[in-house]
Parts: sequence; C-alpha cells; structure tokens
Amino acid sequence: MDATNQNTPKKPAPRVAEDATALLRHFAPEVRSAYARFAAAGAAEDADLVILAVIRDHIPEKSVHAATRLDDPVALVADLGFDSLAITEMIFFIEDLFQVSISNAEIMEVRTIGDLRAFIRSKLAGRAPAAPDATT
Amino acid sequence: MSRNAVITGIGFITSIGNSRADVVESLRSLRPGLERVEFLGNPNLPVKVAGAIRGFRTDSPHWRDWTYPAEYRPPRELLRSISPHGLYAFCAVEQALADAGLDRDSLCDGATGLYCASAGSAFFLHYHLAQMHAVHGERGNPMGLVASIAGTLNFNLAAHYGIRGAVGGFAAACASSSHALGCALDDIRLGRQDRMIVVGAEEVNAESVLPFAAMRVLTPNPDPQAASRPFDRARDGFVVSGGAACLIIEEAGAARRRGSPGYAEMAGWGQAADGHNVAVSHPEGAGLAEAMRRALADAGMNASEVAYVNAHATSTLAGDRSEALALRKIFPAGGGPRVSSTKGLTGHPLSMSGAMEAGFCALALRDGFVPGNANLADPDESCEGLDLPRQTVDSAPNTAMNNSSGFGGSNICHVLRSIPR
Repeated sequence: MDATNQNTPKKPAPRVAEDATALLRHFAPEVRSAYARFAAAGAAEDADLVILAVIRDHIPEKSVHAATRLDDPVALVADLGFDSLAITEMIFFIEDLFQVSISNAEIMEVRTIGDLRAFIRSKLAGRAPAAPDATT
Repeated sequence: MSRNAVITGIGFITSIGNSRADVVESLRSLRPGLERVEFLGNPNLPVKVAGAIRGFRTDSPHWRDWTYPAEYRPPRELLRSISPHGLYAFCAVEQALADAGLDRDSLCDGATGLYCASAGSAFFLHYHLAQMHAVHGERGNPMGLVASIAGTLNFNLAAHYGIRGAVGGFAAACASSSHALGCALDDIRLGRQDRMIVVGAEEVNAESVLPFAAMRVLTPNPDPQAASRPFDRARDGFVVSGGAACLIIEEAGAARRRGSPGYAEMAGWGQAADGHNVAVSHPEGAGLAEAMRRALADAGMNASEVAYVNAHATSTLAGDRSEALALRKIFPAGGGPRVSSTKGLTGHPLSMSGAMEAGFCALALRDGFVPGNANLADPDESCEGLDLPRQTVDSAPNTAMNNSSGFGGSNICHVLRSIPR
C-alpha cells in the first residue's frame, strides 16, 4: 500500500467514464465542467446538469419542444417525440457516461424528464460518494 | 401489356465527382479520382492508392465527428443509425430525387420501392463488436447493428423516406447493385411497382480495403494516375474505391406523364453464374458471356445493335482476361461495340459498381459520348479484336451494355437504350 495514503484514506470517487472527455466533446464547456465537478466530488446537481444536456442532445429534430425548457412534467415520447430507439440510444449514452447499468424494466418506468432525472439520481446515489479532498 | 422502365434520376458520390456534371467532365477528360492512402498508420503496407471520397470526413465511428457538404442536411434520426456509406448513400439519393423532380411525399404511396447494395460497414461492425468485448457483453450501442450490417442502407433509407413498396438488399459482392437494378427493372415490368430507387454504396477504409490486400488482388502501384489500368498488359491488381450511386427508374408512361422523359431506357438484363470458383472468374468468361446473351434476349436485341459496353474489368490479371474472352464470344472481331472500363478512372467501388456504371451508361447515351479506357497503353493479348478506345469519343451510342461480376461467379449484364428526343 502507498504509505502516503495511510493517514489520509479517501472514499472512492464516483466511477466515471475513462473516455468522458471524448464522450462529451461536442457538449458545451459548462456541461463538461459540470461532469468534471461530478467526477471529483459527486454532487447530484452537477450530474443533473449533465443529464439535462444529454436529454436535450437526444431530442429528435422533428420535436416541437426542442428549444423549450425541459421541465420535469415534459414527457419523452408524447412531448419530445422520442421513439423507443432514441430512448435506448440516450440510455446507452448515460450508461457509458456514468458507468451505470440500466435494465429494460427500469427504462419502462421512465416517462418524463422528472422520472429520468430522479432515476439517474437514485442510481448514482446508490454508489459511494466522493469525499472532499483532504486539502480542501 | 408491356411496361418499360426509364432512368429518371441519377445521384453520385464517387471518386470522380459528387455531381453528374463533375462525373461527366471526368469521364470526358479521363480524369482519375484516386489518391495516395496509408491505412492503420502503417507505411509498409503494399496498398498505396484508393478511391477518394472528397468533401466528406467520416473516419470516426461517431457521427457527430463527421463533416460533409453543406447542401446535405441528414437529420439526427438518420445519422444515429448509419455508417459512413449510409451518409454517402443519403447524399446520392437526395441528388437523384432532385434530378428526377420527386419530393419525399411522392415516395410513400406504396408504388415506390427501394433496392440497395453494400457489404455493410466492416469499420462500424468492428468498432461496435470491439466495444461489446471491452465491456464483456454488458452493453452496446443500440444503433450498432442497424448501422453496421449488410442491409443497413435499405433499413435506414426505407425508414427515412417512408418507402412502403418493395424494400430489400442484395449481397453478391461486386455484382450486388447490378442485381438490385435488374430486379428493380423486373418489378416495374411486372407491374409490382411504378418506381424503384436503386442504391449502391461502399466505404473506403482499412476495414473495407485491406481484406482485399489479403487476397493479393490489389495493385501495389503507388501512382494514383496510373494504378488502375484495366485491360492493360501491365495491370497488376485493382484499386478499391467507394462512395454511393443512386438510380431512380420509373415506368416509362408514368415518367412521361409527369414530364420526365428520362436519361435512357432500361431495356433488359440477364444473369448467369460461373459455377466455378468462390473468387476467381471463369477462365473463359463462360458465365459473363451467358449473362450478356440473356440480357440481349431479354431486350429483344442482337449483339450487332450494341454500340458501347461498360466493362466490369477491374484491372486484375484473371478478371480482365475472363471478361475480354467473354466479350469476344458475344461480339465477333470487327465491327463490334466500343468497350471501356471506367474503373481506370474510378477504381473499383465493389458492390456500388453496377449502379454507378449503369449511371455512366445513361449519361453517355443522353449526352452522346463513349468514355475511353484510362491508362490503357498496351492492351492484353486476350483483348485482340476488341475496340478499346484510349480517349473518350464524341459519338452518340444508341445502345449500351453494362457488365458486372462478383464473388462466387455471379455475372450480370444490363442493356440500356437511348430515348429518342
């Protein structure tokens, strides 16, 4: 064991994608920053910001809601025009980004933006959060 | 009641041009479309040249990284489930629809079908399967399958354009889009469809090119201007190319009624296999000769009526010789048609060859020229008696044949006839 860590044990940081930089390269800088903060500290609000950006990124072009606010009651299929493949594509992206595994049964429970945000938050909360760095 | 079919729309993303005008200019001036390449960062590979697909950057497995000409606007619902050659195909179809004067709504009535040909994307298949292995099979991109496998073109284009008629894909390697075009012609003649969209497309990348190097059928020639030299005594293998070609064929009466006379009539087609070898043409060209005989019979024509043959000849030793001997069986020496292989310009775009070269024939018939044989300096002895023009000839052929051959000895021949104007 590394002796320097013996007196300052850290809880494990959130598991994050090794290639997150590549996965998020087309996203806005504030989204990448939020992901970096989540990777370092595990704050749910940072993950939430990233999730909203991922949803917006996967909204079908034909959607009339593409430019509107993504409020919690907005439905993925009925309001945003997602089809099952688009939802699956987005879930795959989220799985890769946050290193979580999401089952078909879990996907079936997600109807709205709020459902998805709550679900991902609960998934991430089920893992060990990052501890603040000892020097901060 | 007999029904005839005419080609009313053509779209090209090819090594010799991404528009009909550029392609005609390249065919007339014999301007090759090949470029120097290096695959897998390995300068020691014997493959130095491949067909260029200009205006596109599609070397990433992620569609968001791709760049393509600004006039094309594929929606994300299409991009998410296509591989690079699906993008080329979309662009070629967009061109062909505009050329034919068709809007998307007119494709959804069930009278329009879609036949496609490609080998799928080995590039994408490799990428997605490698990802699957990396996570021990626990997850994968849900679009990986429909973007990668053979059939990806028809899956995606049928969904995108709302095609409700006959839809399918053809997998006969380098004869595939010729199969597609022939079967599309039959569907129109039989009254099953009034309009067919025929698409062939291929990628040019390590995964599509290097397996042919493993078969030792590619030229090591590093000169893009001279590497592909069909029928020439110094030929030493083919050059892989790609892109996409789209033809729209319509029942002639229906096309006339909407004011589209078309480029040329699809007068007939024939096919016959060699029954000989998985990858090597019959040494005497038996299957291809029979395919030509059947195509002529189907068109109700004699060999003496053919003015131009667009040969399949890819610049391989065995294949070109086989086709030359087949042509000599059909066209006795003296007074035969002009014969050229445009692959001296384009390289060999595998399964898209047949649709692309039928498009070249249609342009030659309408615009009145016969493409020459690029890089043909010293014809192979097997070509004795064949009329192989070195330069493009300004002469209006009234009938053209288009040959294709693929793995397993599949041979296809189309006959195209000019439309009186």
